[in-house]
Amino acid sequence: MASADKILKALSDSLGKRIIQTRTLQPGKSYIQVQTGAHKDAVRIVLQEDNEAGVSAITGVDLGETIELMYHIRTCDTIITIGAEVPKKDAKIESITDIFPGANFHEREVSDLFGVTFEGHPNPKRLILPEDWPENVFPLRKEVSVANIPSKIGNFGVSKDEKHVSSEERLVNIVLGPQHPALIEPEKFSLRVDGEIVRGVEPRIGYVHRGIEKAAESRTYLQDIYLVERICGICNACHAACFCQTVEAIMGVSVPPRARYLRTIILELNRIHSHMLLLGHAGLEIGYETLFHYMWRDRELIMDIMEALTGNRVIASFITIGGVRRDLKEEDVPKIKAELTKLKERLSFYKNLFESDSTLKMRTRNVGVLSKQDALKLGVVGPVARGSGVNMDVRRDEPYAAYNEIPFNVITYDEGDSWARLMVRLDEVGESVNIIQYALDHLPTGPYRVRVPRTVPTGEAIGRVEAPRGELFYYVKSNGTAYPERVKVRTPTFANILSFVHIAEGGNVADVPASFVSLDPCFSCTDR
Amino acid sequence: MSLDLNFVFRVLVFPGFAFILLFTMFCDWVERKIEARMQNRMGPIYTGPVGVLQPLADFIKLLTKEDIVPFNAKNFVFRFAPIVSLSIFVFSFAFLPIDGASVVSGSNFEGDLILVLTLVSIANFLLFLSGWSSTNPYSAIGATRVLTQLLGYDIPLFILALAPAFLAGSLNIAAIANKQYVPFAFLIPWTFALFIINLQAELEKDPFDVPHAETEIVAGYETEYTGRRLAFLKLAKDVQMVLGAAIAVELFLGGPYGPIFYGLSAVWYTLWFVLKLLIVVVVTEYLTCIFARLRIDQVLVVNWKLLLPLALLSLAVTVGVGLWLNPL
Repeated sequence: MASADKILKALSDSLGKRIIQTRTLQPGKSYIQVQTGAHKDAVRIVLQEDNEAGVSAITGVDLGETIELMYHIRTCDTIITIGAEVPKKDAKIESITDIFPGANFHEREVSDLFGVTFEGHPNPKRLILPEDWPENVFPLRKEVSVANIPSKIGNFGVSKDEKHVSSEERLVNIVLGPQHPALIEPEKFSLRVDGEIVRGVEPRIGYVHRGIEKAAESRTYLQDIYLVERICGICNACHAACFCQTVEAIMGVSVPPRARYLRTIILELNRIHSHMLLLGHAGLEIGYETLFHYMWRDRELIMDIMEALTGNRVIASFITIGGVRRDLKEEDVPKIKAELTKLKERLSFYKNLFESDSTLKMRTRNVGVLSKQDALKLGVVGPVARGSGVNMDVRRDEPYAAYNEIPFNVITYDEGDSWARLMVRLDEVGESVNIIQYALDHLPTGPYRVRVPRTVPTGEAIGRVEAPRGELFYYVKSNGTAYPERVKVRTPTFANILSFVHIAEGGNVADVPASFVSLDPCFSCTDR
Repeated sequence: MSLDLNFVFRVLVFPGFAFILLFTMFCDWVERKIEARMQNRMGPIYTGPVGVLQPLADFIKLLTKEDIVPFNAKNFVFRFAPIVSLSIFVFSFAFLPIDGASVVSGSNFEGDLILVLTLVSIANFLLFLSGWSSTNPYSAIGATRVLTQLLGYDIPLFILALAPAFLAGSLNIAAIANKQYVPFAFLIPWTFALFIINLQAELEKDPFDVPHAETEIVAGYETEYTGRRLAFLKLAKDVQMVLGAAIAVELFLGGPYGPIFYGLSAVWYTLWFVLKLLIVVVVTEYLTCIFARLRIDQVLVVNWKLLLPLALLSLAVTVGVGLWLNPL
């Protein structure tokens, strides 16, 4: 563990003149702009200084003549951003996948949407856009307007050279998706199978890419809150919170204490909702229907609380820039507490079940093992990382909302198998219940929002939230108008999906659904 | 030869065809209701009193749906496998004494136990063929899983069925049922428990429902079936469930013979038979609810490394203690 200052010193010592400028994006978050070519050394130095660091996201920004690439590196308590610029005409930069394999998808995404070629990338295929997308149209470049984006596309996700039997002998290609009963959302995974054993996985995402980052640029900040909430239905409050936090950081607005507590409550409700949904779904994947029905029934308690708090059962539309949109009614507090107590009783039953049921353990123990080294190398986040013993949680590392005032534990398991990932979630539900109970007991009085102007001053900021599936990352750049210049969203599943390739390899075909569901994949988040 | 009305009635109405089908649908309803209540759901409630007509409504609905045969599906096998499979399961009931006598008088004979068990295996093989002829990868995998499992549980099932036959000194199902002054389930509970577990595999219920693993292979061998063929395939599976439970009742629970009856014996026999069968249905459904699905390799491990040796052991123990049990 190295503090940010030490890393910055190491950077300036070894890069010297190759650093163009250093500035602070927002308190505690530094931005180091380096010469093109020095970015790889810079990333390497940060990764060496902090052995648990990882590339959180790669953001591209169109600056007119050049494209700015930002490597956001997650360290123990903050984000360090390394910036490099490439000319638009000849957009080429060296890939960092050889020093950090988890950057694979991040680079492919930037390559798709900005047309930057990453030299030395092991698999520079399309990731987000369809195969028959026109060659030189890069949607997130400013010269591309919504009007000239092609409306019709044909062979989506089918490359011409795809065959059912791969060239290697004995290996058979089994295509999982885009439509498959184990996948609720459309995404394709080509499994190369030797008998019952998986030898390789080729993921292809982008089937539900809706261009939300581009759409956000043509809407006002207020409209964008509702837009980003629709990136993911289940963790909608996390997206809204993260976006609002980031915009508030640019504006320098501080949120009233009551609003911070109410945000914490809705974020934790989101987490319980998401985790219980997933645990029930995991039951269904391993053929344990009773578990599925039990879990989803108890999830109803949370839905009722959400309705009492926000007026909606799923999409909350609760958080806004400057606070929250509704106050919690005093008469609802005892009702919510009673339901939480009920949920807690149920949780001890589930905990016992997960620890003792033999058929459940037969299907999840030692299935889809992800070691700690691999978890760090692939840059996984959230319960997937914590199930492999990586102790990280944005709520503790970089507190937002009211998390700095509320005590809670970060749950980690060392096994790294599907069971551990499910257990992390089960225990986190218990922690979330405690957090909500504490927040309700210590709810400050006062206003629940401050009014903010519609236009946002020029600036840029990074926001991070621990969504149910892991670290959610936002980068917002403002140009001084009511419309953002750039909104970058890196969802937790986008960081986690690469690890599926790793955990499926060498495993049994029948284990693919069980290990896949333990990652809690959300494809509408992944594709945006 | 004049048409024997009694014969026609017994074959077509009671205890033959109509009774078996209606009773099957009733058992299906019981099964669904128990599973739903155990999983904290309502289960069927709308059709008929407490939803008891729901299985019939589902059946009729499927009959009216469009019948699609895949272009590549081998026509003859694909078309006829469900109906032949259903016929075999219904036919097997002819050897079980439901109201005290066989469906057709004189149809039971020494050795009909072996015939019934063989017929069940053949009907299961037809389920495999129905999936195999669908030319759909999911159906094919489901079908091979049926076959893989069939090898694993049929042998233990035969061995376990021999224990009651040994105690009764007969291979005639009616004679075995008749001999049980104390039901064999109480005399040799270890065999009965193993038989019920084996039945779970035979009926493709959790934890052995790998041929149906929805999240892996959609609906298994049923994937390509639609309309009336699907209706008959599902009915065949339901009749198989009742048949499996009925065999367990005949072999271990004393068949239709009960401790209390006066007056019309056929009514009491049927009542006892139905009650005992429902007990078996409840037990199998309970097991279904409390387990997760095993993987196909784990199922085979259970079949070959656990069930088969245990079945042999239980037969040996039964033969050993049989001398003391026989006077009962």
